[in-house]
Amino acid sequence: MRLARKIGNAALAFYTVLFFVFIYLPLALIVVYSFNADPINMMNWSGFTVEWYLKILGFRTTISETALYLESTPQLIQAVKNSLTIAATTTVIATVIGTSTALAMYRFNFLGKQFYRVLLFAPMLMPDIVLGIALLIFFVGGGIQLGLKTIIIGQCTFLISYVFIVVSARLAGMDRTLENASADLGANEWTTFLRVVLPQLTPGILGGALLAFIISMDDLVITYFVAGAETQTLPIFIFGMLRRGIKPEINAIAVMMLVFSFVIASLGLYLRSRRR
Amino acid sequence: MTRVGRRIAELSILLGPVTLFLAVFFLGPLIIMMIYSWLAPGLYGGVEWQFYPHNFGRILGFADPAFEEFDPVYLSIFFRSLKIALITTFCTLLVCYPAAFQIARLPDRWKAFCLFLITLPFFTSLIVRLFIWVLILRPTGIINGLFLWTGLIGKPIELIYTDGAIIIGMVYIFIPFMFMPIYASVEKLDWSLVRASQDLGANGFNTFLRIILPLTMPGIIGGMIIVFIPALGNFIVPAVLGGAKVLMMGNLIEQQFLYARNWPFGAALAMLVMTAVLVLLWFYVRYEMRRGGDAAVTR
Repeated sequence: MRLARKIGNAALAFYTVLFFVFIYLPLALIVVYSFNADPINMMNWSGFTVEWYLKILGFRTTISETALYLESTPQLIQAVKNSLTIAATTTVIATVIGTSTALAMYRFNFLGKQFYRVLLFAPMLMPDIVLGIALLIFFVGGGIQLGLKTIIIGQCTFLISYVFIVVSARLAGMDRTLENASADLGANEWTTFLRVVLPQLTPGILGGALLAFIISMDDLVITYFVAGAETQTLPIFIFGMLRRGIKPEINAIAVMMLVFSFVIASLGLYLRSRRR
Repeated sequence: MTRVGRRIAELSILLGPVTLFLAVFFLGPLIIMMIYSWLAPGLYGGVEWQFYPHNFGRILGFADPAFEEFDPVYLSIFFRSLKIALITTFCTLLVCYPAAFQIARLPDRWKAFCLFLITLPFFTSLIVRLFIWVLILRPTGIINGLFLWTGLIGKPIELIYTDGAIIIGMVYIFIPFMFMPIYASVEKLDWSLVRASQDLGANGFNTFLRIILPLTMPGIIGGMIIVFIPALGNFIVPAVLGGAKVLMMGNLIEQQFLYARNWPFGAALAMLVMTAVLVLLWFYVRYEMRRGGDAAVTR
């Protein structure tokens, strides 16, 4: 019996190792192959090269130029710029609206509160293709030019909910006695908010903002439908490249994006662990 | 101003922006989409403002005989999407469930690290994670390469652009969604009940079936809902890993909007997906409420 349990435990541990291998081996593979000089066959290792990286950054390289997207670098840079502009704007809007909503729901009891709770969860549960085409119909029907503005609005519809949930979680874990103490000591509501509530809330707000930023940078479906023909974001640029056929530069772009998001996510989680 | 008046003013300032924003840019578009699905398609894209039930007719089988014939292909794509989403959900569950038990019994430091490792991919680009599977599964990819090299197969086998490729891709990207709710309920699991069951002579299988499974059921159901909903309407994964061969509802809707330019029909298809999701959520809410009630009674 004891032996059986030991075997069971070992099997479970082994399985969990495989589980992590399944998650991380593909990520490791792409890093390795982004340095592979062979552009066609993944199994052929024809030497180490950083030329793909140089290529997408716009440098001249010696790798055969015929098979590649020669004009893609300016497009790529424009897509990155668009993504950053959109993410920065949506983050500010979603954080302000999401935080004020969380405060309202925390501090007040009012008629229809339950309705608001459902309303705030709905954009996250709605399949994104449904929301995407609903927004497309709405914008086109309303004669609004598709572009950066419509992408920002579209993303905010669901990013507000994410910020709301993160900030609400922080509010729920907050110590109300401090608020009461501040009031007892004669501070007015505004002072209490600024000097007692807000400092305690800051990690939650920052966490929500970071989450909104990351999700905005990565959003594909909503953005795809409301972007129009001319505006590209980074995920849409890559999606387009994949649909046209795979070129080896994508490996290098993908690795740079992985590194970027790993750094941001690690930073966020590190900050959160330090604040506790 | 009176105290009550001030509080009302404060509430409207805090709640005003979200009310306005979601009413105009969330509820509004959804209602317009609902209306569109009952209108006639215009000749060159666009829409005719007249009542036209045949968008749904085309899907469900009462087509406008003068214009369209009933084509069961749309219903079959819907059921195929349901099937692929269901298989994905169960596969993700099977992949995550055992790992949750192992991680829940690790020392705290390791636990935190493992949870970090599982959530990290959620923060990395979705399209990049899918692209990796294109590299792995395509004819010149690593799996075919390995098989060819070992001599197991003579020529590359078709892995990408199949249902299987879509399911693998979706399982891969949905792991964090499934893992967290399951982990939350495994972590809370009362192991003294498991020990009691074993002391009373139940074998491992019975203990699992009668004690562990029911106690972790809330996490299982929560995870399944969170995975099934985005899987059903997904259009990115089939577009990248299914190629043009495997259509799911998401691709069909995209086609109606961006290529066929039959917006009312596309809206009707989207309504079908939305209805399926709402029905599912309604059952889920009922389940949660019943569970809440039960818990209150046993306490």
